[in-house]
Amino acid sequence: MVDLMLLAPEITILVTGLIVLLAGLFLSAQSKKILGYIATLGCLVAMLLTISSFGTTAVMFSNSLSIDALSQFFKIVFLTVTTLVCIASVKYTDGNDHADEYYVLVLFATIGMMMVASANDLMVLFVAFELASLATYALAGFEKKNPASIEASMKYFIIGSLSAALLLLGIGYVYGATGTTNIEGIAQNIDLLLNSPMGILSLVLLIAGFGFKIALVPFHMWAPDTYQGAPSLVSALLAAGSKKMGIIAAFKVFIGALIALQADWQIAFAILAVLTMTYGNIVALSQTSVKRMLAYSSLAQAGYITMAFVVMTPMALTGGILYALSHGFMKAGAFIATAAVVYMVTSENKDILNADHLDNFKGLGRRMPITALSMTVFVFALSGIPPTAGYMSKFILFSSTIQSGLVWLAVIAILNSALSLYYYARVVRYMYAKPTDGDRVSEPLPYVVALLLAVAGVLVIGIWPEPFVNMAMEAASVLI
Amino acid sequence: MLPILSLIVLIPILFSAVTFFTKTKEQARISALVGTLITLVLTMYMYFSFDSTSAAMQFEEAANWIPSLGITYHLGVDGVSMPLILLNAIVIPLLIIYTWNDVRAAPNRFYALILAMQGAVIGVFISLDFFLFYVFWELTLVPLFFMVNIWGGAKKKHAAIKFFIYTHVASLVMLLGIFGLYYNAWSLNGVPNMDMAYLIGQFQFLESEIARDAIFLALLFGFIVKTPVVPFHSWLPDAYSEAPTAGSVLFILLKIGGYGLFRVMLPMLPFTATPSLMITIMGALGAISIIYGAFLALAQKDLKRMIAYSSISHMGYVTLGAAGLVSLSISGAMFQQFSHGLIMSIMFMSCGVIQTKTGTSIINNLGGLAQKMPKLTVIMVLGFMASLGLPGLTGFIAEFLVLTFSFINVPIYVMIALLAIVITAAYHLWALQRAMFGPFNEKLGDIVDISSFQTFSMGIIALLVLYFGLNPSPVLDMMITNSEHIVSLMAVMGV
Repeated sequence: MVDLMLLAPEITILVTGLIVLLAGLFLSAQSKKILGYIATLGCLVAMLLTISSFGTTAVMFSNSLSIDALSQFFKIVFLTVTTLVCIASVKYTDGNDHADEYYVLVLFATIGMMMVASANDLMVLFVAFELASLATYALAGFEKKNPASIEASMKYFIIGSLSAALLLLGIGYVYGATGTTNIEGIAQNIDLLLNSPMGILSLVLLIAGFGFKIALVPFHMWAPDTYQGAPSLVSALLAAGSKKMGIIAAFKVFIGALIALQADWQIAFAILAVLTMTYGNIVALSQTSVKRMLAYSSLAQAGYITMAFVVMTPMALTGGILYALSHGFMKAGAFIATAAVVYMVTSENKDILNADHLDNFKGLGRRMPITALSMTVFVFALSGIPPTAGYMSKFILFSSTIQSGLVWLAVIAILNSALSLYYYARVVRYMYAKPTDGDRVSEPLPYVVALLLAVAGVLVIGIWPEPFVNMAMEAASVLI
Repeated sequence: MLPILSLIVLIPILFSAVTFFTKTKEQARISALVGTLITLVLTMYMYFSFDSTSAAMQFEEAANWIPSLGITYHLGVDGVSMPLILLNAIVIPLLIIYTWNDVRAAPNRFYALILAMQGAVIGVFISLDFFLFYVFWELTLVPLFFMVNIWGGAKKKHAAIKFFIYTHVASLVMLLGIFGLYYNAWSLNGVPNMDMAYLIGQFQFLESEIARDAIFLALLFGFIVKTPVVPFHSWLPDAYSEAPTAGSVLFILLKIGGYGLFRVMLPMLPFTATPSLMITIMGALGAISIIYGAFLALAQKDLKRMIAYSSISHMGYVTLGAAGLVSLSISGAMFQQFSHGLIMSIMFMSCGVIQTKTGTSIINNLGGLAQKMPKLTVIMVLGFMASLGLPGLTGFIAEFLVLTFSFINVPIYVMIALLAIVITAAYHLWALQRAMFGPFNEKLGDIVDISSFQTFSMGIIALLVLYFGLNPSPVLDMMITNSEHIVSLMAVMGV
């Protein structure tokens, strides 16, 4: 029975999802507002359960699930993002007859991500991966009457399915060679894959498969379109949550199972990391759609996190894992702030296209002071200005590259980080230095609550990082 | 014992938040003034109980912050930082008085940014842990970015973003250098530690000569871009001249680049692989800045840009004096930082008044302002005279010490710098003559003299310039104590 207690967070989310699903059948569109509160409550309970069991280690179900600091840490990341998204969604789904479907999908996607975090078997990992993906495909198309949303969903679905096929094929080769899908089993039989073309082939397929989810260049094509077209809060879930699922899966597969092939995949990740961060930052410079800019910025951030694979020291992994948490807060926050602006703009003018255009951020400091201030904190955090979570994570991650002598990588990363300041600062300039004729609008409470929670997260990790660094170190020690 | 150092950082930041949420202009400026006056009182208390015969850190505070990375909350003050804290604590309340009646958009934000800036700058001066140091160092960027962007002149957008990115890149390069120091000490002793003195002390044990030079140059780059030093100065004229007057004064008080030279670079210098090359770099850049800044100042048509270039020229003395490597040349460089902060505040404040009263700062469009603005003229002439190095005022003492004592180790650069003295006198006097004296330019219309608030704040700074010019020892003594200490540390290695 002790075992089941460790699954309590997943069970809580599942039960919450089922309650929402059932209640949705009986509630009228107006009273569906309560579902948002239920979903938030479920996430909070699950988060408390995860934190309280942090540090326990166990394997269960014939060694197919493993609970350890790493999986718990990433579950905290996913639950954080989902909680923020659920809180903000209360306003977004207000009066929508399909609110129940929305929350069910969000919660099921979260279970998928959480299961990936604790998967210890490639089959479990794949099924959980698909659970999360399928739910998010549907979510991206949640605004059924909005062509952009449908396009986003279609693109995401088609490319996602392709990548799933590649992933499965990669898993198939690994299974074919080693005779097992268990992560530790693969690591033990790895000599069967070493120095064989099959090893290289499976690496290529796996990197491509995970690369799609993490949106590494050149597997990123879907990300900007999807993040831009999907409802902003869903983009928050995709960029801040689902992307981390790709990262934890890659951690497990490459570092957990295929560590013996390190020499081969490390060079691939080095190239991908440099390409991704440089491409993301350069393309972000010219974007006028804030969501698209955030999409490219999240490419760049994924590039930074990928550096952890290249450096592969405990310090670098600590930095990468802490970055995942910080990015969860920063990126979810930035998308939620954008969602608040989109909400304001569309409530003024129903038929507006490009509601997230930079021009709509003009004078936001006066029109929506809390949203503007929070957005400022998020973009400065994303660019790594202290004392924020983004700075703390970059500090650990970038410094680890110096520690292991990869000065060139540190220089590229730092130049990128400086480059990114340009487009982040531009958003701030639009919000505070551009005049506007718009009036002060009242900011919807759910958005404000979600934003303030995210700001608190960003600043707490930045100012008092000790507990988070310790947790990330413990999580990293699972890998190395 | 009162944690006085924490207080002089926290009080401005706290009052910054309070000011941000005030509703009216009246509340905003009073809250800002109260915050800075409390800081001033605490700083004066600290100054008068400061032992200027000791080179050790005083008023130290230390607490664990992020033990897993060896990061501590470690504060302290010595003769290098005390005068700079004093400078900030004195000038910023006067700056608030100076802007008292200026009608501006969003006064609550304006004053909140000034206070945040004060907290961040003082934070840089008192941090003894590299992590903390870097946090404050970067924090100084943000208020200035907003200050230029919101209240700046015609090209504010360009100036703000250029300043922000240029100096941010330099800070990041400096951060790489800090990483180098950090991991060097970590791999030597097996424990992470970010303490400044400790990391600087461990620098000499780094085996690779290339790494030692690379770390030194990375840190030096971070500091000289902020100072700034030619050829890394191009952000400065734009930022200084596009900023509102208060912003320009805040830039002037941002003496963190020069401070870094004394705190970090000089103790490390003897242990680089090629100390003589490093001395050459610093000396040459200092001399070039002095002469290049002076020539460009001579060519400026805009009074504010002229002052900006003159600032580059004057900050060259700081770098040159540091490269002089004698305790008195280093003290001269430190005193130049202090004196420059006071003098440039007067110059920018005068220029700001002229700009608001006449609507222009193009020198040729002015003329004969002395007839209409006698009070301003007295103070401004004093500021200009101090800036060109008239004996009896602070600028003379600083430049005299730097030039005389740098001659011992870097005579060639001193000779180059001497050439600039004539040009310095020329552009100051020429600008004064064209703008303030001669026949009054009737196109300027009716002009009134500076307000009593402005007279008060500028007058006090002018009196300080005179006072420290006649009697520099209240700040110079502690500088000499500490520069002797720095030199004795270097002498251990026989440089």
